Amino acid sequence: MNVAVIKTKAETTLSEGFGQVAERLPGGADVQQAREDALGRFASLGLPHRRIEEWKYTDLRNAMKEALPVAVADEAKVTIADIIVALGPLAQLDAPRIVLVNGRYRRELSNLADASSIAVEPLSQALVGSDGAAGLLSDSGGDNAILALNAAYVTDGAVIDVPAGATLEKPLLVVHSRAGVEPRFAVGRNVIHIGEAATATVVEVFVTVPGSATEGQVNTASEVLVGAGATARHVKIAVDAGKVTHLANWTVEMEKDSVYRGFQFTSGVGLARNEIRATFKGEGAKLDISGIFLARGTEHIDTTLFVDHAVPHGESRELFKGVLDDTARGIFQGKVIVRRDAQKTDGKQMAQALMLSEDAEFDSKPELEIYADDVVCGHGSTSAQLDDDLMFYLRARGIPKEEARALLIQSFIGEAIDKIEHDGLREALAEQARIWLLGVGV
Amino acid sequence: MLEIKNLHVKIADEDKMILKGIDLVVPKGEVHAIMGPNGSGKSTLAYVLAGRDDYEIVDGDILWNGESILEMEPDERSAKGVFLAFQYPMEIPGVAGLTFLRTATNAVRKKRGQAELTTPEFMRVVKERAGKLNIDVEMLKRPVNVGFSGGEKKRSEILQMAMLEPTLCVLDETDSGLDIDALKVVSEGVNALRDPARAMLVITHYQRLLDHIVPDRVHVLAHGRIQKSGGKELALELEQSGYAEFQADAA
Ligand SMILES: Nc1ncnc2c1ncn2[C@@H]1O[C@H](COP(=O)(O)OP(=O)(O)OP(=O)(O)O)[C@@H](O)[C@H]1O
Ligand SMILES: [Mg+2]
Repeated sequence: MNVAVIKTKAETTLSEGFGQVAERLPGGADVQQAREDALGRFASLGLPHRRIEEWKYTDLRNAMKEALPVAVADEAKVTIADIIVALGPLAQLDAPRIVLVNGRYRRELSNLADASSIAVEPLSQALVGSDGAAGLLSDSGGDNAILALNAAYVTDGAVIDVPAGATLEKPLLVVHSRAGVEPRFAVGRNVIHIGEAATATVVEVFVTVPGSATEGQVNTASEVLVGAGATARHVKIAVDAGKVTHLANWTVEMEKDSVYRGFQFTSGVGLARNEIRATFKGEGAKLDISGIFLARGTEHIDTTLFVDHAVPHGESRELFKGVLDDTARGIFQGKVIVRRDAQKTDGKQMAQALMLSEDAEFDSKPELEIYADDVVCGHGSTSAQLDDDLMFYLRARGIPKEEARALLIQSFIGEAIDKIEHDGLREALAEQARIWLLGVGV
Repeated sequence: MLEIKNLHVKIADEDKMILKGIDLVVPKGEVHAIMGPNGSGKSTLAYVLAGRDDYEIVDGDILWNGESILEMEPDERSAKGVFLAFQYPMEIPGVAGLTFLRTATNAVRKKRGQAELTTPEFMRVVKERAGKLNIDVEMLKRPVNVGFSGGEKKRSEILQMAMLEPTLCVLDETDSGLDIDALKVVSEGVNALRDPARAMLVITHYQRLLDHIVPDRVHVLAHGRIQKSGGKELALELEQSGYAEFQADAA
């Protein structure tokens, strides 16, 4: 265990500040106990730093000098119009939504009329509800400091239950918005259960209401259980502009013959750590986790995947594409474990970065750990610059430099965007990428 | 009128001189052919006309309609009417042919002060011009040139030319890789663009193309210079004698 001997200012604030907010965090005695236990685990682990192998490229302890005040019972004034502006191209989507502002569920901004086939409850309510509420705060065995921190401080989120056989026709948006001029640390958590043979699309969106503090910290966790024969499409769009630290953990468990299609789009975030852990629990499940990361300036986006083929006949696909400008840094770590019993596993992973500047950096660490002998697995990683010959070809056809660049960048990320099956969502993300591209210098 | 004056060109990062004093005039309304042995600098001349920056202009000038184009970016030249049909057209994965054609067409129209085409207008024009070149519009929904045969790529170049309506057309070995029927279709496409307001420079190795696109003048480029110029019969002579007589001139 890595024990941080000397606590940083941020670690101290996070460990010792708990008492001041504990009373205002939702949950009864058992939940409170679970929070304190999680806090204890965080306190002994400390913030992850570069000497921890999994955090080699993201020295969070060093980057996160201070912990902002945790947003508890935040009442920031926000209107539906604000949310629509914040959502940008995603506002066009015909989709029910549950809206959180600074980690707090806001009923008046939410609209769940089109989600009647499923049960959606704010986490803050679920935590004060049944006896087993503490189970909503699991932090996977306890060696994940960020997840432990989430369990300790979480204020709200969405508990989504799709009953067996049900189909949620429209994607459900879970909007986590930042608002107010005071910088805050917002902690949210979503618990998503897709029942047997059910189908649903859940889209987590992280946005900023215009005029909000440029700084912010977000700790978000999602737990997804995909029932036997169910199909889950799960998207996270973090376009939470500014000097924001975005820490995300996804935990996915897949039952027999289920399908899980995850996608993460990250742009404009100061520092992002997207960690995804997916486990094949039942045979014959199919997993696709893909994404796009766009960074410029000093932005830093880390995607770290763990795919655990624990049982036979699983299929996994991962495709991540990044565009890096200025001195931005992109990181992709993808670990695929194929256990001894997991025969006939079929796994493929690819991470590609397009470097727009010589000072940008892409670190890629694909890892395959295979203990079964009858498997097909492969991985790869590339890093390239815009092709001068293609640029000339486009420009020789009258297309100005900026437009030619934008076309080539779009074509580069297109393959990943095409993983999204929902037309409206795919177009909204393509548009979101175009918006980012408008800021690409020449 | 295209005027190339004493053009000396070398590769930007090397000392190797490729064009060693080209003088060439192509008046509007005329089609000139350039023939010459492999590696003599034909494509280099074509690229330099289009504004590729791997080359350094050591001396000389290129005037199009009396204006030097050497300082212009490739897209500016395109707006001024310069078009190069590439010897090896490139594949652009992820960019649909129609998107590419529409972006290019409207970019040059905008720069030329013409109204941009709306989607229905554009589709009507593309369908008509692609049809004449035996190109199925379905094929243009695919990424530019990806998986196209050699001949399809060449036809796709001519479609781009037809859409951009250039006034200086440079065709670099557009005939290579074409079967006999495609050669006819492409030649008809090129001939349809022959116009008193257009100048054309056709680079080829084969007399065959010049039976279809009959040139006003033929020039032999060897060792970085125009070694000989003549009427269309010069192409026939070359077919017989080859380039042996120009090898001697090298020194
Ligand atoms: N970018 C480059 N880098 C290095 N050498 C080059 C480059 N471009 C052209 N050359 C060289 O310059 C010479 C002329 O090449 P070019 O392609 O212009 O010939 P060409 O007349 O078009 O030949 P072909 O008939 O085979 O198409 C060749 O020796 C070629 O290798
Ligand atoms: Mg050539």
